[in-house]
Amino acid sequence: MSGQSTPIGLFWAEFCENKIAVFALIIVVLMILLALFASIISPQNPYDLANLSLMDSRRPPGFVGSGGYTHVLGTDPQGRDLLSAIFYGLRISIQIGLAAGFVSLTIGTTLGILAAYVGGRIEALIMRLVDLQLSFPAILLALVIVALLGQGKAQLIGALVAAQYAYFARTAYGAAKAERGKDYIEAAVATPLSTRLVILRHLLPNCTPPLIVVATVQIANSISLEATLSFLGLGLPVTEPSLGMLISNGFPYMMSGRYWISVYPGVALIILIVAINIVGDQVRDQFNPRLRR
Amino acid sequence: MLGFIIQRFLQAVGVMAVMSVIVFCGVYAIGNPIDIVIPPEATEEIRQEAIRRLGLDRPLYEQYLIFLGNLLQGDLGRSFVYNIPVLELIGGRLPATLELVLISVISATVAGVTLGIYAGYRPDSWVAKTIMAVSVLGFSVPSFWVGLILILTFAVNLGWLPAGGRGDTVQIWGVEWSFPTVNGFSHIILPAINLALFKLAMMIRLARAGTREIMLTDTIKFARAAGLSEGTILRRHLLKLISIPIITVFGLELGSTLAFAVVTETIFSWPGVGKLIIDSIGVLDRPVMVAYLILVAFLFVTINFVIDLVFALIDPRVRHGASS
Amino acid sequence: MKFHKFLAPLALALGLSAAGAAAAQTLTMGVRGGPESMDPHFSALGPHAEAAKHIFDTLVWSGTDLQIEPGLATSWAPVDDDTWEFKLRQGVKFHDGSDFDAEDVKFSIERIPVVSGPTTTTIYVRRVAGVDIVDPHTIHIHTNGQAATLPNDFIRLFIVSSEAAANHSTPETAAEGFNSGAATIGTGPYKYVSWEPKGDLVLDRNDGYWRGKGAWERVIRKEIPNDSSRLAALKAGQVDVINYVSSVDYLALEKDANIDAIKGDSVYIMNLQLDQREDTPLVRAIDGSDLAENPFRDLKVRQAIDHAIDRETMVEIVLEGLGKPANQMMPPGFFGSSEQIPVPEYNPNKAKELLAEAGYPNGFEVDLYCTADRLPGDGAICQGLGQMLTQAGIKTNVNAISKTVYFPAQARLEYSMFMNGWGTLTGEASYTLGGLAHSKNPEVKLGAFNRIQYKNDDVDRLLQTGATMMDPDKRRATYEEAMEKVMADKAYISLVQLQTVWGAKAGMLELSPRFDEDTLAFFIKPAS
Repeated sequence: MSGQSTPIGLFWAEFCENKIAVFALIIVVLMILLALFASIISPQNPYDLANLSLMDSRRPPGFVGSGGYTHVLGTDPQGRDLLSAIFYGLRISIQIGLAAGFVSLTIGTTLGILAAYVGGRIEALIMRLVDLQLSFPAILLALVIVALLGQGKAQLIGALVAAQYAYFARTAYGAAKAERGKDYIEAAVATPLSTRLVILRHLLPNCTPPLIVVATVQIANSISLEATLSFLGLGLPVTEPSLGMLISNGFPYMMSGRYWISVYPGVALIILIVAINIVGDQVRDQFNPRLRR
Repeated sequence: MLGFIIQRFLQAVGVMAVMSVIVFCGVYAIGNPIDIVIPPEATEEIRQEAIRRLGLDRPLYEQYLIFLGNLLQGDLGRSFVYNIPVLELIGGRLPATLELVLISVISATVAGVTLGIYAGYRPDSWVAKTIMAVSVLGFSVPSFWVGLILILTFAVNLGWLPAGGRGDTVQIWGVEWSFPTVNGFSHIILPAINLALFKLAMMIRLARAGTREIMLTDTIKFARAAGLSEGTILRRHLLKLISIPIITVFGLELGSTLAFAVVTETIFSWPGVGKLIIDSIGVLDRPVMVAYLILVAFLFVTINFVIDLVFALIDPRVRHGASS
Repeated sequence: MKFHKFLAPLALALGLSAAGAAAAQTLTMGVRGGPESMDPHFSALGPHAEAAKHIFDTLVWSGTDLQIEPGLATSWAPVDDDTWEFKLRQGVKFHDGSDFDAEDVKFSIERIPVVSGPTTTTIYVRRVAGVDIVDPHTIHIHTNGQAATLPNDFIRLFIVSSEAAANHSTPETAAEGFNSGAATIGTGPYKYVSWEPKGDLVLDRNDGYWRGKGAWERVIRKEIPNDSSRLAALKAGQVDVINYVSSVDYLALEKDANIDAIKGDSVYIMNLQLDQREDTPLVRAIDGSDLAENPFRDLKVRQAIDHAIDRETMVEIVLEGLGKPANQMMPPGFFGSSEQIPVPEYNPNKAKELLAEAGYPNGFEVDLYCTADRLPGDGAICQGLGQMLTQAGIKTNVNAISKTVYFPAQARLEYSMFMNGWGTLTGEASYTLGGLAHSKNPEVKLGAFNRIQYKNDDVDRLLQTGATMMDPDKRRATYEEAMEKVMADKAYISLVQLQTVWGAKAGMLELSPRFDEDTLAFFIKPAS
């Protein structure tokens, strides 16, 4: 290994050994940039109705529309440029994935560490609930909650959080529990150090590596779950399409050969999810000491 | 041991009771079915009449008590839409879901374990790397998208297999099954592949991880030192050792696949329970939603209960730990 | 299709599929929706009635263009202001061989309020106060006040056998009795064999049907809700005919040599509705500030909107040819449709001029709400509408949402500009204009669906007199005049009439499309 000696430097160096993971990371970063700058790089603002023309609708890739530019990936039934719609859809999908991921991370970690730190009845109650929920399929839970809350971004994120926080809670609990049992924490608890300090200085840092792994996987899962819900017609409103919604809108056109409306957003979605998962896999392998040889 | 069983059983009953309240209140908080079951052209009189017919004019707790009373007699209510007992409705569609789920979980397990063991046994071969790449894909790609591509490729473009629906059925023990007929089996292939893919990826990973860890243990080293052939090692030691977690996961997955079939059944218009629940959410057929969720909860509580028992039988520490 | 137990292995061995073995005497229909029960009185939904029409008959028959014809009743006439006399057809037999008579009609009418489900069939008998049997083939029906359109109410009033259904006429016993077939005894063209909810309805021919023998010995009505799957089943030869080919697939199907696409007009017309209250919630100036008044109360604004809409493009592009431009709330030829209403003119410049004249040179902003999952193309039409209005200067935020959210909110008057389809299911104007165009007035039971608080005193007067006119010609003229006035006010702007498409194996079937979109096996013939 190289001369870098900080833990992060070492970690990075090891990460770079896996060329596929590096490539995947580049893709993830690239897609986030595309989403961030969607409004600048898109040939068209797909949400501005004044810009759209019905005459351009459902055109195959390569069609030069009334806007004077080429629709590289074709257009959708409303005459939207699909490339632009994908950029904007990417933005919504990533937004929802990140938001759901971070909220579940916060709630889950808090519950997990609380259970591990406090112990007793609260521990039993929280973990029994978490275990029960983990055995229940996330998709079903999200489905019911979305039906319960109605359509909209906030509602969707709420459903995703409810379906996913338990993974974080379980992970944080496991790591914190293992650490809680160690003598130095017992010692720290015995000293007049504040609870907050014990948690912040000792418990939380030890939970971080496994939580990072879970977070990457869960963000990818959120994006995929959101797409699935949108596809089932329970996601966002049709006028604000995420990638899943774009796929769903294009689905009816598959039978009549107008595949591009559904296929290209799908390709974008899959590249995103696969790339995140490959990065997550590599990080997991690096954190798992048992697989080190 | 008996004390442990009783304790766990009471816990399971408690969980079911809580679930029934949560599910009931949750489902009853979703929209107003009246707005959906009656046509928008209906007058106010008709509306009031319908509310009365469905018993929606009573307060929530009264509705719940009626529901609970019926539940204890094994009656889960009548569908708003079909006016037939919900159990009959679900029961009629259960075989379709069961055959789909069983075929996909079993084939995913057989294929996944075989591939996974190989990938763990020869981790650096290109075959292993391909297997792992496939598993990453299977894990990542949303199952509805795979379904779309399967339909587009095999049904629309190639025309080899039907795009959806269930095929011809035969009666076996009074239940309609479609897999024994040629036409029925051709209908089941695509949805089964669709449903199996995620499980396949999971089984590959599980078997690979298990194999890698076990191959590094002393047991295997000693077995090799004792001059046992590789085939014998794989059969005698490896399979035995990795089978326990795989059987556990198999049990758990059977349940979650039943639930996940919702997506596959929707894409392939498979007339199973999952399609029923999606349709029922669409029309807010509350009794069907409640019954389905309660049955799923019951299934999971039962599976967990059985797993707890099995573990307790295998590992005495569990039952001591739990009762202390 | 079910295999007999011991035949199944044999068929398997031979590699036969059941569909392949079936003779040409069987008609297999793939339909989008199905019945909710075998009890015809359980639900008033279209697919339910469509399935019931195979087994049961009605007193009054609604023809392909929804104009009423004799059914089990051969003639009817008002006896006095609140009594109608129906003469019943003689010699008609139920599937179990028993005779049809007035007792069965009385029984059926009185059974409905008891066994009706939530989508209530009581709408068919809402004006019936009592039934008197005059003789076995004559009945008198007493109504609550004058009921000029009573025969129209009866087009889905199915007649069941008073003997077979006697023990199956409470909410608890009805479903079991009918779903098992014990009470499913009608006088219709087909006899009940078996049914599974959301599955197949299997029927055998009634050789003694009074209209004559049907063309098919056996009919299988398969429920396939997904549009793509239904089409795939037709292409794969699993079914002979399907209904509701989606507009998405229609063009491709027209070019397909193996499939006949049969296009028919539907009763559904998409109407844009503009709130007429002084204060309307979802309208604002372009800069977000409040407007001094509701712009939709200004006729010039409403005319501008009408001119901004390109109905041809709507039909050709959005619906891919599957519709017709509409200029009024009912299809042409319906009782009360007017031929005097001009064809709307698409003229975006004129729209802008009118807006400027009305005091909105820079336009304004509005939230448009529509259903996205109720009728074919509703969401797409809505989004297209948003484009057209925005390009004419009215900045439109499109909200195409689920009908389960839309209708309750619409009923609470939460919208300013909204669009949904309306189907004139009875084929005459009292239903449509009475519900939508009369000012809301529960006392005279009119205006129940007027969700824009539209009020035109002339229209109100015409509709109230029309409802009591027993002379059909005068009544028709009255409703035509009302329709002309409503459409000139442009608070309701009709956009397109939807069309439906049936798909059938090429050259195999003859099918004449019905306005109510029913797919009825008896009226489908093998191609000659």
